[in-house]
Amino acid sequence: MAPSTMREDTRDQTGNRRPWQVAAEQLSHTASGLDWLTERRTAALVRADRLGLPDQSQEEWRYTSLTPFARRWLDHLAGARLPAVPEPVPPTLAGVFSVDIVDGMLCAPLLATPPGLTIQSLQNLGAEWRTRVEALLGSAVSPTDTSASDSLIDLNTALLTDLILVTTEPGASVAIPIHMRLQATAASALCQTRLLVDLAAGSRLTLSLEFTGTAGVLVNAVSQMCLGRDSELNLVRVQALPDDGMLLESTSIEANDSAAVTVTSVDLGGQLSRQSLTVRLAGTGASATVHGLFLADGQRHIDNRTRLQHEAPSTTSREFFRGIAADHGHGVFSGKIIVQPGAAGSNAALTNRNLLLTTTAEIDTKPELEIYVDDVRCSHGATTGQLDANALFYLQSRGLDLSTARQVLTAAFLRDSLTGIPLPELRERLEARLESRLQAQTGAAR
Amino acid sequence: MSTLLEVSGLRVAVGGKEILTGLDLVVRAGEVHAIMGPNGSGKSTLAHVLSGRDGYVVTGGSVSYQGLDLLAMAPEERARAGLFLGFQYPVEIPGVSNVYLLRSALNARRSARGESEIDAAGFLRLVKAKARLMQMDESFLQRGVNEGFSGGEKKRNEIFQMAVLEPVLAILDETDSGLDIDALKIVSNGVNSLRDPARAFILVTHYQRLLDYIRPDFVHVLAGGRIIRTGDHTLALELEADGYEQILAAAST
Repeated sequence: MAPSTMREDTRDQTGNRRPWQVAAEQLSHTASGLDWLTERRTAALVRADRLGLPDQSQEEWRYTSLTPFARRWLDHLAGARLPAVPEPVPPTLAGVFSVDIVDGMLCAPLLATPPGLTIQSLQNLGAEWRTRVEALLGSAVSPTDTSASDSLIDLNTALLTDLILVTTEPGASVAIPIHMRLQATAASALCQTRLLVDLAAGSRLTLSLEFTGTAGVLVNAVSQMCLGRDSELNLVRVQALPDDGMLLESTSIEANDSAAVTVTSVDLGGQLSRQSLTVRLAGTGASATVHGLFLADGQRHIDNRTRLQHEAPSTTSREFFRGIAADHGHGVFSGKIIVQPGAAGSNAALTNRNLLLTTTAEIDTKPELEIYVDDVRCSHGATTGQLDANALFYLQSRGLDLSTARQVLTAAFLRDSLTGIPLPELRERLEARLESRLQAQTGAAR
Repeated sequence: MSTLLEVSGLRVAVGGKEILTGLDLVVRAGEVHAIMGPNGSGKSTLAHVLSGRDGYVVTGGSVSYQGLDLLAMAPEERARAGLFLGFQYPVEIPGVSNVYLLRSALNARRSARGESEIDAAGFLRLVKAKARLMQMDESFLQRGVNEGFSGGEKKRNEIFQMAVLEPVLAILDETDSGLDIDALKIVSNGVNSLRDPARAFILVTHYQRLLDYIRPDFVHVLAGGRIIRTGDHTLALELEADGYEQILAAAST
């Protein structure tokens, strides 16, 4: 390729370089042993290039701008990385099987995985799994039903350096929770994390994902999870990036006949965090429970978009999302329940409750129902407000000072969202972190 | 007996409208006062303004509590100084357990008196004993404050909290409303067991029926924002028999 042509290729109409083109060029020098993926990566890059990064003219990205993300990505690619000051890695939890993933790569060979469970990476992927991985990568983006966020998935496919495949054996109940610590470091310009989870029929797994990183990191994470018939997944997802970290995350979960998924999502870090969670209830009797909690304090921008899609008869979904915003924080929640024509006898409920601790903070919420069949029970609602004045006075009348009363009520508000986390130590750590942040908040505010 | 509370010429407005129009009341240690009156006479306003609730503007008069200017104190300072308000509508607070609230409340009072925090074992003994007094199942201690409680359970919980906190002056706002006869007996029994020469009660009530179980030393009739008549417990019986109209008519002539 002639140098002049190349320069043209890597700039958009406004003259900005396209970061993914630069990243792809850099990647081609280093990536090896992934030849079987090349075709898929090339196609994904072409699509991503055509779509570009999502922008605010698209409804689902209305409140979230990726301009600072793209700018920093280019800076990182040009070598202007922030110094690698390691964030303290969260302490290991007792009673879990820990898996460390650094910059999207499984960093050490795993020894003694719990019975019934296999964790593989691209480097050691069994030949019998290659077809399954290819199928999953290929189905990540629908060829017909394109969404504004698809380019993020395509970028991940095009630029990933590794992927993690978690599989269970049919009927296996994995006895201990798997705790994945997904760390991003200054070594990657944009950390691409790709996680594939495939639960065989009748199996059970508890999986927690904790996103951490060093200063200024950028992460683009894509997870695809497929639940076989009668299987159960208890998924915990914690975003605990440093205050200047940015995370874009696309997760899709497919639940087949009678499969049950429980998701608890917690955002407590980052400068910019955008999670898109799609749960497809694709099999008869499948069910999903989603608990979410975000704390948008400081300058944080936290955007959660969830889609619960009922595609089969007698499917059930329950979603409870809570948000707290303070200082100049901005929280966004958009939750949609879609009941497709084939999903008669379905039952869905979505509740979103938000708390504004200061008048300078903002929360935008949009709960939606889209129903294409008669025989269903659906409800949705959202509230945004301050702490209840009656409850504050009640606590004061019992001798608690106003700032303690505010703290107690705020902690109670968020504790509710965490009760479903099946890792007690992780839950306690999250409670302590959130409460100490709120303490700073209520102490400073009034 | 020492004077605990002295209300003099208290005038209070809510939303620009004067509700209390010059109220006088003296409460000494050991006494039980019942404040009765028709709806809208200012009974609940009196309870709220004494406990420090927002939205009540004092336009005249004074309130002295144990020699302190009560109206200058924050609600939590009043509580720590031994004032207790039993709510007409106790608030549900999911996520904050009853036991947590009680320990925080008790320790706030102790710390205001220069005492150390109560030890865990002593605290548990205390709350269990008081729960028995109120015939409440211990399992409720771990539940959220008033969460999912029936109206009667909420009122019982108010008296239970009072029993644990052992206030100097308790103001019970319409504690009898919404109680069936059994609950009324339990609640009255709780109050009676706390009667003490060093403690005083103000019972704000619309009906005489509570006073069948808790015999007051004084009954005051509140109307138009002032106390228009004071008597002993027989005044309540008179009200029950004749209604408020006769007394109101007598007062206006």
